[in-house]
Amino acid sequence: MEGSMTPTQPMRSGGFWAEAWRRYRRRPLALAALVFVGWLAVVALFAPAIAGTKPVLCRYKGHLYAPCLAFFDRRLEPAVFARDRFRGTYPQNLKEKDPDSWAIWPLFFQDPYRAVRENEWPGRPANPARDEGHPSASHPFGTDQYGVDVLAKMVHGTTVALLVGFVSMGLAGTIGIVIGALGGYCGGWVDMVTSRFTEIVMCIPTLVLILALTAIIEKPSIWKTMAIIGATGWTGIARLTRGEFLRLRQSEFVMAARAAGAGPVRIMLRHILPNALAPILVPITFGIASAILTESALSFLGFGPPPPSASWGSLLNDARSNYSMWWLVVFPGLAIFLTVLSYNLIGEGLQEATDPRLREARK
Amino acid sequence: MIERPPHPRLSPPPRHAPLLAIKNLVTAFHTPAGRIPAVDGVSLSIERGRTLGIVGESGCGKSVTAMSVLRLVASPGRIEAGEILFSSGGTTLDLATLPEPAMRSVRGGRIGMIFQEPMTSLNPVFTVGDQIAEAVLLHRRVSREAARARALEMLQLVRLADPRQRLDEYPHQLSGGMRQRVMIAMALACDPELVIADEPTTALDVTIQAQILELLSELRARLGTAIVLITHDLGVVAETCDDVAVMYAGRVVEQAPAAELFARPRHPYTIGLLAARPSPGMKHSGPLCTIPGMVPLPQHFPAGCRFHPRCAYARLPGAESGSGRVVPLPAGELPCNAAVPPLHEVAPGHWVRCFHAESLGPPRSAQEIAAGGLFS
Repeated sequence: MEGSMTPTQPMRSGGFWAEAWRRYRRRPLALAALVFVGWLAVVALFAPAIAGTKPVLCRYKGHLYAPCLAFFDRRLEPAVFARDRFRGTYPQNLKEKDPDSWAIWPLFFQDPYRAVRENEWPGRPANPARDEGHPSASHPFGTDQYGVDVLAKMVHGTTVALLVGFVSMGLAGTIGIVIGALGGYCGGWVDMVTSRFTEIVMCIPTLVLILALTAIIEKPSIWKTMAIIGATGWTGIARLTRGEFLRLRQSEFVMAARAAGAGPVRIMLRHILPNALAPILVPITFGIASAILTESALSFLGFGPPPPSASWGSLLNDARSNYSMWWLVVFPGLAIFLTVLSYNLIGEGLQEATDPRLREARK
Repeated sequence: MIERPPHPRLSPPPRHAPLLAIKNLVTAFHTPAGRIPAVDGVSLSIERGRTLGIVGESGCGKSVTAMSVLRLVASPGRIEAGEILFSSGGTTLDLATLPEPAMRSVRGGRIGMIFQEPMTSLNPVFTVGDQIAEAVLLHRRVSREAARARALEMLQLVRLADPRQRLDEYPHQLSGGMRQRVMIAMALACDPELVIADEPTTALDVTIQAQILELLSELRARLGTAIVLITHDLGVVAETCDDVAVMYAGRVVEQAPAAELFARPRHPYTIGLLAARPSPGMKHSGPLCTIPGMVPLPQHFPAGCRFHPRCAYARLPGAESGSGRVVPLPAGELPCNAAVPPLHEVAPGHWVRCFHAESLGPPRSAQEIAAGGLFS
């Protein structure tokens, strides 16, 4: 029926989000930031295939294995290699113990947790350590004081950087939206309780709380750090959600939904939340940026995830005791800076794409 | 509220059981400034398949009455007294006390509602089809496809152009008139027995107004749905309503069949309203008639008949009369500021809340009043 479209018909356009995306796309910086974060996500997902010392895929004694998955979880390392005493070094062992074996190797043969030894990869010298490890052709970002390749560490640290943002803000967003929605929609004493609770949590200095908790917690891990960042970082989201729910609760379409027989849960989730989501997403995006910074700060102070988790912040911590190794500061610092900047640009782009007042102002 | 003594003429006799009977409804808002009785003892009844117009100035309680029927009065407002008897499917429910879950199935299922602002009454993030389908799914156990088919059927019923294409459009892509048609489709999607339309045409321009009113009348005739039409436009009432209730300051002051009310208004307020309308036969020079004074604020409702400070016929002891005239009170008659006049029947189906409805002399037609300049 394409031909029957008359020129008087309004331009076909999608819903609110399609419109927002159309406006977002017009901002080159925000778009570049989105591409950068997308690229980081790809790097994080394929980290063991980009930099590692374990084959991405190999055929050994008639079976196919993917030992690189061990970088995600040690238990994923096939038991057969431990039985055959590989001790983590695959290239020579594979050839010696099964001449018919073959393997697909990571793009970059370096390990994020240890220095690569001499001849571990045929004909390659051992990683240089200390001041010798400045950036070179074989180590673009240099090596640290123990000879561990910085690029490999950073590639594997991407997972932590992204997870910190998403997990902690996912948690913070959930808590913030639930508490803010209840307060804003129910009003009365519920609002009273949730608002006061929000204000109390707001008074807790996050960094100090995390430092205190890491001192108490039995086994510190990156997940616990994320949980703490999330559990204390929801206050801004809750306040904003409350405001949006308070405003939208009075709106005519909510009244119309009630008149159509919708219950309170349906109204909150289906009618108010989608309308409130755009403004709430903005502080969540900024929150991701600040969560990454918080994690980096913690790692820098030495309270980050314990080794072997590699995080960009812990690389900065290494640089603290090795002033002459400038590459330990520059590359991880740049990565943190770019990631945080990207999230801030995305947040700003979202804000401008979804906030009608800013939209009007730009016209 | 002053309790009225039981009287055989106090409530309209059941010709046949009315679909909705509101009895002595009191809805008040409890604000820091005190209790504000927005609706104070309203009694109304709506017959099956008929259209009742509720007319009144802003703030007279007509919208609050409608919202009370659906129990959607926003806090701090609440229904304090009265019954809202809704006869549906052989049973009579008191909507004033019905538990909330049961009330939810009444809203949208048995009583539909159309709002004033079609521009903001539709959720901007959902397509038109989704919103109508949701209204169906809330009350009927049908599949999503069936609900969508019903939505399409409803859009065809309200005669929206290109219904199939509109189904997947968002509210911002439709004009005001089209959105109001969608609202009507939503309100009627579950075959309600009653539709409450709260100023459905106020936000629309005049040509669209006429189309929407025509559509409502046509749908009522086709589906047999009773309609409560809330408006401040007497022209709208004259065109579409079978019965009219006139509200003033939280009370019904007059209820009658539309033709009767326009031909023989009995309450001084109604007489004033009708006289204030410009009419085609009017002389071009000269100001329009007005009712002197202002609508009282709910905090300062006058005692007795709430219209008496503005009423040309008010009979008050001494020189207190708002019109400056001193009317001698006949023996045994109460002054207008002493007691609330009861709503009583002056002619079959014609109810008036005025002590002097009978003694006002022969009923006047609006034209006669306008010509005589009774309210000048």
